[in-house]
Amino acid sequence: MEALHELTIKKFHEGLLAKKFSALEAMQAHFARIKAHDPAIHAYLSTAEESAARAASAVDVALAQGEDVGPLAGVPLAVKDCILIEGLPATAASRMLERYTASYDATAIAKLRDAGAVFLGKTNMDEFAMGSSTENSAFGLTRNPHDPSRVAGGSSGGSAAAVAAHFAVAALGSDTGGSIRQPAGFCGVVGFKPTYGAVSRSGLIAMASSLDQIGPFTKTVEDAAIMFKAIAGPDPLDATSAPDADYSSIDDLERSAPLDRIKKMAIGIPEEYFIEGLDPAVAEGVDRAIERLKRLGIGFKKISLPHTKYALSCYYIVMPAEVSSNLARFDGIRYARLPDLADKSGLSLGDLYKKQRGEGFGPEAKRRIILGTFVLSSGYYDAYYEKAQRTRTLIARDFREAFKTVDAILTPVTPTPAFPIGAKTNDPLAMYLEDIFTIPVNLAGLPGISIPVDGARSAAALGAGELPVNFQLIGKKWREADILGIGRYYEKLNG
Amino acid sequence: MPTISKHELEHLAKLARIELVPGEEEKLLKDLGNILAHFEELKRLDTADVPPMAGGTDLADVLREDSADDGGRENTNRGAGTDAFPASKNGYNKVPPVFE
Repeated sequence: MEALHELTIKKFHEGLLAKKFSALEAMQAHFARIKAHDPAIHAYLSTAEESAARAASAVDVALAQGEDVGPLAGVPLAVKDCILIEGLPATAASRMLERYTASYDATAIAKLRDAGAVFLGKTNMDEFAMGSSTENSAFGLTRNPHDPSRVAGGSSGGSAAAVAAHFAVAALGSDTGGSIRQPAGFCGVVGFKPTYGAVSRSGLIAMASSLDQIGPFTKTVEDAAIMFKAIAGPDPLDATSAPDADYSSIDDLERSAPLDRIKKMAIGIPEEYFIEGLDPAVAEGVDRAIERLKRLGIGFKKISLPHTKYALSCYYIVMPAEVSSNLARFDGIRYARLPDLADKSGLSLGDLYKKQRGEGFGPEAKRRIILGTFVLSSGYYDAYYEKAQRTRTLIARDFREAFKTVDAILTPVTPTPAFPIGAKTNDPLAMYLEDIFTIPVNLAGLPGISIPVDGARSAAALGAGELPVNFQLIGKKWREADILGIGRYYEKLNG
Repeated sequence: MPTISKHELEHLAKLARIELVPGEEEKLLKDLGNILAHFEELKRLDTADVPPMAGGTDLADVLREDSADDGGRENTNRGAGTDAFPASKNGYNKVPPVFE
C-alpha cells in the first residue's frame, strides 16, 4: 500500500475502492507505526486494536459483497480522550477518570461509526481540556512530532500529533478557546472548529458548555470538509445543537468549481491581531499566505475588532465559571472510584469528596475551579462574571460589524510556533496568552480553521526539526462553506 | 489591586469541595493574584448599556415532552451510569454516611 504519510481521507477512499489495500491492512499498518514510534511522542493514551480490527473487517466484508461505502469507510481515526466511545476508556487525561469506561457513544462518534470509520484509540490532552500544551495531562505530555523537545500544543495535542506523525489519517478534538486550532498550528495539520451548535456536544466531557465544540484534525482542508459533514447536524441530546443548517455548498467545493464565488470574496485583516511580540516566523508565514490568496484574486481589507484586547480576561472569567459548575459532578464516586491514594475509611461523605477532588484533579483544574468559584461568588459576581458576559457581547458585536464588509477574517493562530517543553508551565498567565488569537472566535460562537501555510507538513521523518506555521480563517456563523472554500483553493494553489 | 486572602482561598476551596495542601495554597494565591490583576483591564471598559451574553448561541429554547418512553437514544443507556458506581447494596448505590 501507499506510504501512510501520503494517505488523506480522499486518497484512502480511492485506494480502498481500487483494492490497493484492505481496510484491515490499513488499520494494521497504522498500528505498526504507532507501536514503533508513539512511545517517543505519546499521542495516544489508549489504543483499541481489537475493536478497530472488527470495524475494519466489517468494511472489507461490505466491499466484498459489493455494497457502496462512503468516504469515511475504513478510515483510521484517533479520538481525543474527552469524547466518549462506548466500551473504551475516557479519562480526559485526569486521574479522576482513570478507571472510567464510557457507557455510550458521543453523537459525533455514533455518526462516524455509521459512516464506517475505524477508531484506533484515544488521544492525550490537557486534563479536562485545560491547557495549551498537553503538559497538563495526568499521564505524561505529548511531544511535537517535528521537534520532540517542543510541545504539541493543546489541549488536543495528542490528536494533532497523531495526524502529524501519521498515527491516524484524521482525528477528532474539541475546541473551547483554541484547543483544536492551536495544536494544529504547532503540528502543521489542518484543525477546524465549527460554529457553536453545529456539532452535537453529547458525549463530549464538558469543560465550558457555552464555548465547547467538537471538530476535526486532518491533513487537508478537503478532508476537514468531509469530516465536518459527517459529524454536523441537529441532535435531540444536545439542547444547544442548532436546527438543520444548510451545508450543501460544502459539497459544491468538490462537485463544481465555485472559484468565481470565492474570488469575489473579501477577507478582513484585523489590525489588533498583528501585535508587537508576534514571532517573525509567524508574521512572515501569515504574510506569505496573504500574498498567495491575493494571487488567487481575493480582495483584502484592513478591519478593526476593537475589543480584541479584552477577550483574554473575558474568557478567563466565563470559562472557569462554567468549569467550576461542570466539574462539580466529579466526586471520585460516580464514574468509577479513584485509585486509592490514601486511606479513606471512616471519612464522612463531605470529607471524602474534598479528599478525592483534592487528589483527583491536577493543579490547572484546581486553579480554574477555584477561580470559577470566586468569580461566581456572592459579592464578586457583578464585578467579574457579569462584567465578562457584557464584554462577551462587545466582542461578538465586533465580529458582526466586521462581517458587514468582509466574508472572512484572516489572522495568525498563535503568537509563536511550538514552544519548548516546560517553557510556560510555571506561569499560568503566560500559557493563557497562547490563546489570544483563537479565544475571540469561541466567545462569538464562530467557525474558525487553522491551515498550514506551506501545506500539511509531512512528519514522516519524526523530529525533522523545522517548525510549521498555520494561519487562521474566521467565518460567519453557519458559513463553514466560505472558510473551507477559501482554504480548499489555497491548498490547490500550493499544489 | 484585588487579591484573594488565605482565609478567602480556604473558604473557596471549601465551597468547591477541594482539599488543598499547604504548598499548593501559596502557589494558588500567587497565581490567582496575577490573574486577577490582569482582569483589572475590564474596569476600563464601559459596559453599562451592554446586555450580558449568557450563552454561546442566540437560539431560543426548544422544549420536548418530558417523557421517558419516546424511543429516542436517551433511553438506550439506562443503568450504564450506575454500573460505573463502585459500591452497591440491595440494588442501591452505596456511599459513606452523610451524617454520623
